[in-house]
Amino acid sequence: MTITDLWDQKISAFQLSPSQFLATTTSESFLAELLHELRNDKANDHLKILLVSVLLDHPTILCPSSSVGEETALELLSVFSHTPQKSIILKCNVMLAITNVIICTSCLANHTKMAEDWLDLLFQMIQDTNDYRCGLSQQPIRATACDCLREMETCSPGLLSQKLEALYLLKQQETTVLHQSYCMLYTLGLKNAIRILTTQKDVTDLEFKSILGGNEGFAWKSNQLGLTLLPINMMVQVPRLPPGLDCKELKSIMSSLLEESYLQTPISQSALLRELVEVVAMVPGLSPTLFKSQLLRLFGTADVSLMHATLFMKDTFTDSLFTAEDENFLLKRLVGTAQHPLLRIPEKLFYMECILHFPENRPISSSGEESLPVLVTPRLAASLHPTVFNDSATMLCRLNLLCLVHLEADEGEADKGIRYLFEHIMALLKIIDNDGSREVVVTSFRALFIFLMHFNGMENLSEKVIDKLCDMYSRHSRLAPNLIGLANRIQEHLDDPVWSVKLLIGLQKCIMEMPPLQLTIHNLSWHLKVLKRVAQEGQITQRNTIYLLLNILINSNLCERGNWQVGNAVLAVCRNLLEHPSIDQVFIELADLLQYISVHYDDTDIKDHARFYYTLLTNLSWEKLAGVLVKGLDGGRAKERSHSAIMAENEGIASNLTVHKTNRHVLQLIKVQEEASQRSSGSSELLETTGEAKNWLEVYQGQFHTPGFGSDVNLRYNLTHAKDTDPLFDKVFTICLHFELKDSNYAKVNDIHVPCVFRDRKPPEVKVKLKPFQPYPTTLCVSAVFTTQDGRSWHSQLPDVSVSFPEIFLPLPLPPNTSCECKEQVFDRIWEAAASENPDKSAISLFCFKTGDESLADLIKAHFQGYLITDQQSKILWKVLFFLPPMCHVLLKITQAEDAIQVSIATDNWELLPFVNSYLQNITDHCSTTVTDD
Amino acid sequence: MPNPWLELSTWPFQRTASYKLLLTELGLVDADKPYVEVRDDCARQHRSPAVELRLDGPGGRTLWPLLTFTQGALILACLPLVEAPPEPRPPLPSLASVSQGLALLSGLQDFLCGPGGKPEPDVLASRLAALPSVLLQVCPLGRPLDTPPPAGSVPAAVAPSPGGAQKQPAWKAGVHRGRVVVSVALTEKVRSMQYGKSSQQDIWDVYGMVMCKCEVEGVLPNVSVTLTLPPNGSPLQDILVHPCVTSLDASILTACSVDENDCSAFSGPYKFPFSPPLELFRLCSYTSQVPMPPILGSYQLKAEENHLKANVVLKLHESVKNSFEYYEAHIPFFNQNLMGSVEVKVSSGQLEVSKEKSLLVWVLGQKFPKSREAALEGTVHFSGTVAGPTDPLCTGLTAYIKLYFRVADAVFRYCRVDQHSVQVYSSAKPRIVTTRELVSSEYYIWNSTGDAPVSLKI
Repeated sequence: MTITDLWDQKISAFQLSPSQFLATTTSESFLAELLHELRNDKANDHLKILLVSVLLDHPTILCPSSSVGEETALELLSVFSHTPQKSIILKCNVMLAITNVIICTSCLANHTKMAEDWLDLLFQMIQDTNDYRCGLSQQPIRATACDCLREMETCSPGLLSQKLEALYLLKQQETTVLHQSYCMLYTLGLKNAIRILTTQKDVTDLEFKSILGGNEGFAWKSNQLGLTLLPINMMVQVPRLPPGLDCKELKSIMSSLLEESYLQTPISQSALLRELVEVVAMVPGLSPTLFKSQLLRLFGTADVSLMHATLFMKDTFTDSLFTAEDENFLLKRLVGTAQHPLLRIPEKLFYMECILHFPENRPISSSGEESLPVLVTPRLAASLHPTVFNDSATMLCRLNLLCLVHLEADEGEADKGIRYLFEHIMALLKIIDNDGSREVVVTSFRALFIFLMHFNGMENLSEKVIDKLCDMYSRHSRLAPNLIGLANRIQEHLDDPVWSVKLLIGLQKCIMEMPPLQLTIHNLSWHLKVLKRVAQEGQITQRNTIYLLLNILINSNLCERGNWQVGNAVLAVCRNLLEHPSIDQVFIELADLLQYISVHYDDTDIKDHARFYYTLLTNLSWEKLAGVLVKGLDGGRAKERSHSAIMAENEGIASNLTVHKTNRHVLQLIKVQEEASQRSSGSSELLETTGEAKNWLEVYQGQFHTPGFGSDVNLRYNLTHAKDTDPLFDKVFTICLHFELKDSNYAKVNDIHVPCVFRDRKPPEVKVKLKPFQPYPTTLCVSAVFTTQDGRSWHSQLPDVSVSFPEIFLPLPLPPNTSCECKEQVFDRIWEAAASENPDKSAISLFCFKTGDESLADLIKAHFQGYLITDQQSKILWKVLFFLPPMCHVLLKITQAEDAIQVSIATDNWELLPFVNSYLQNITDHCSTTVTDD
Repeated sequence: MPNPWLELSTWPFQRTASYKLLLTELGLVDADKPYVEVRDDCARQHRSPAVELRLDGPGGRTLWPLLTFTQGALILACLPLVEAPPEPRPPLPSLASVSQGLALLSGLQDFLCGPGGKPEPDVLASRLAALPSVLLQVCPLGRPLDTPPPAGSVPAAVAPSPGGAQKQPAWKAGVHRGRVVVSVALTEKVRSMQYGKSSQQDIWDVYGMVMCKCEVEGVLPNVSVTLTLPPNGSPLQDILVHPCVTSLDASILTACSVDENDCSAFSGPYKFPFSPPLELFRLCSYTSQVPMPPILGSYQLKAEENHLKANVVLKLHESVKNSFEYYEAHIPFFNQNLMGSVEVKVSSGQLEVSKEKSLLVWVLGQKFPKSREAALEGTVHFSGTVAGPTDPLCTGLTAYIKLYFRVADAVFRYCRVDQHSVQVYSSAKPRIVTTRELVSSEYYIWNSTGDAPVSLKI
């Protein structure tokens, strides 16, 4: 497998799921690897483009902070300048990546040096129009530079506002295909500059003119305004400049931009038109009639983005650009395009949405909701009538539109139209009746929903629908879930539940009238589902349901077969019956039914449940019964504790058997501060120290043959209450702590059991045993299950516990009484091996810093005490060894050089270097300059 | 995120969550389960080009508006930037990025699938492999600048633009060098639903398109194509033109199929001046209401004891050239057992029984007889015991014949385009190639003795 293949695999794994990918490594090391490979001269462009794509797609995952972003951008810049000129595509990709990283990591927003330098460089690139020096091949670089600048201007509006003259000249000079890039850049800059000017109180002619003539530096200040420039159609009030400004120059610029718009690709053209519309809307001195010359061309366009831009114009300028005739014409075009046989379905769906949100010159309402333009008459919309030949989305979209049309129409016309729509619905139902596919069934029920939402008031129609549905149900009981769903949704969406109740009554009747043969086992489960739903309606009498159930149980072999699912489904109906308000009228029948089940049903669980319901029914008043049965809501404690919700199916089991969830933190783990010297790997046994001149390294390494040797890191925590917890949790018992790892660098952590935690007592200490596969920093998600004094069980999340890099350090795992000589020998041998790159993941590195107020000795005492190898007395050279399970070593030699402290680093796992580096940086933070060198 | 204009890569979502949600939303999961609430809820309205993914279930975070294009097993999706406060949810047409996303996805579809729409797997794989670099070019930093070039549209003999005083269009990478050739192809498709009943009105319409490929020198050469109608020809409606058309006469656009009172007398000539791009493009498209369909048919199917009796008559309209490239009538039988003996006579052409034994194919060949009429008559027995294909629409005597035909070098409505209607303003003498054809599309003749599904304009 080649390196390219390896990277291919790695990157596709990352793209597929960054979080999963980073579980086995860290973003730092992955980023380091990426940048390392990018600097590799031997890697080909194709591979490098692949590498860069990761930074283009996921900049914030790889560069979580502004500082990492800045460093990465710097690295990329050096890659950019070292890339040979012929690698155009790679260069463009790197430029985009730099821009992306700078923007996404807030380097631009924070005005960092890197962002400033990059901006200067980009501007130089777009000014360097002398393509002929290196041929036309360099054009893409300039185009990309324009794209990058445009992106930066978008994210930091006004950045280019003082450069407009220069940009204008560049745009004018450019006659190659690149002029589109310059034009877009200039137009965006112009629009933003004017927008910013509108926030100013008084604008003089001079200030206004100076925008167009600006040729200064970048306007970093402007983004301090924190402007988020929404498009003007999203604003309550369009920002405007004061009237009376001299717009002659601007007008001629606008005209030339419009004239040349034809030269742009349709998508860019639409973006350009939108910018220009915004400019005209903000400058009272400019008339919307500027666009007049373009309108005819735009009206006829087959391009969806240009048509959309035209509608934006219409929305912004209404009758100052579009006469009533134009409006009528545009709407007709929209209706025509919404059903044009040569357009694609998503485009046509979009045009139908555009009709429903058509920007009328004289809108009746402006709520932003779907509403029909007055001009859309049944006659105009006739061609949009749904048919059974339409695809689902088109059919539903047309149906919705036509429902609105006929709802608004005059009586005579509406009757005809509604009748047509009704026939269409009936045609759909007929298809279902003829065993239409699942998709057809779902689509037809969606169509029914739309129709009923609009016309449920027309009783004769909505009742015909019910008759048809019941008729169909008698043949296709598999439609039960669709029918229940429809009844539920209609009930939710209409204030008036009558239709749903009527449907359910119809279905109940339909089931009653079925010949017994049709109540077969398979269909029975559908019927029971329907009856269960019917039993929820207080307005529907339930006597027939009970008779039917009793009848079935007595006259079939269901009880003997004792199928738990069937019994459970019957009980589900009974449960809803218990809650029914008119239970008094059927009390005896229900009691008979429950008793029959409890005696005859051949399943103990079903029998028990039935007996339990029977007891509830016969011993509690209805009010109590209802209260007991009401499903517990979150927070209502009394109800949660009710013992009666023991119900089948998915209604949950009794609340006292439930583990309750609390979203607040109840407990937390607090790290026990300890001296480094106390640390030990805990598993080293006494070594025989009698032998002389032994090879201590071999002895040391021999220890690892013992399984599990030196593989654990023990971390100690106090288990305490989190702040501000409910007094309910003051005393918690039988706590079980469960740990989930966020990555796969560690073995699974065992659960820890703690007998109790009381708020007013000393917190218990828990020892978390970590077994690293890779000794990287990690985070543990901790949850706890515990019991409160009232006997309820709870589940609660604890704040995440992060394990930092130094927390995984262990001293050299040798017995405590090992002599310094032995340790030093081991140290030196490991160092030699690392320096000679054996094993092959070894690396050495150097870290320098200047001490500040704190002396070196203090620093060493504070951080390296337990890990020192050398004699404590030595003041010239300190040797420090961190052992990291399962078997990694980080060795430091610290020497005081003339002007700085040098820390030589050796490790047998170079992937640890970034962590070592940041650790050292961290502890020497207050000291001055740090320099590293690989 | 400052500007995820369109989050679009070969697959932007983590497969585990959003991908599954998208499939659910498109109804593509759990095909074996008749009803799954999250998928089949009737209140979830699937009538917009944009779907909504609920990442944490109902009430949770949502991804919206996710635009999707589905073609076969290929799902193209992009997430346009919503430049608006998320609540209340802005209407789709108020977002500039939506139409740009639609345009981009259309372009991507063309790029991946090519003109045929069904690329070979290895071709598709290689195009997919090229997708990231193409996307970076047309959509750098997620902001669409252009649509990808349609697959297989490499223009011949292109020189870089001279960089003179005239500005080079951004949609034209260079200039053509070599022979001047202009090809114009007019294709008309005719749709029809014929019921053979007085209670149900037959419907038909024609839609056409003009495809052009222009190899003409110069940065912005002028070309114009003119379509003409015969006297009393019905006007071209719903004309949509390519963005390269430089100007349009207002009268060209006035005819609109949705406008019944349309009595605008304009009936051409339809002149389209434009400056062509290098690749093949659709100059314009239109619809048209013609007074008669090119072929009138009647279909009578009757059930008799254990067989069906069929009677079909097809008549070619006198205005259509009686010379077909192919002409077939397909007579399918649904919800029946497989066909047994077939005793059917045809007055012209031959009859074939399909291998699947559920379809009669009447091959009418290249020509109708002189009478311009062809008939089929006979009985079909369904003696087999194996059930044939099912169709929820065609039960009982609801049945149809579907016509497939193509007439080369003829346009039904005589909408004309010929060498004289193409003008090229060029110093070299251009070679002009024009072709025209009439093709059937969704051409149904329903059994007049059964119920046919309604599909009428009121």
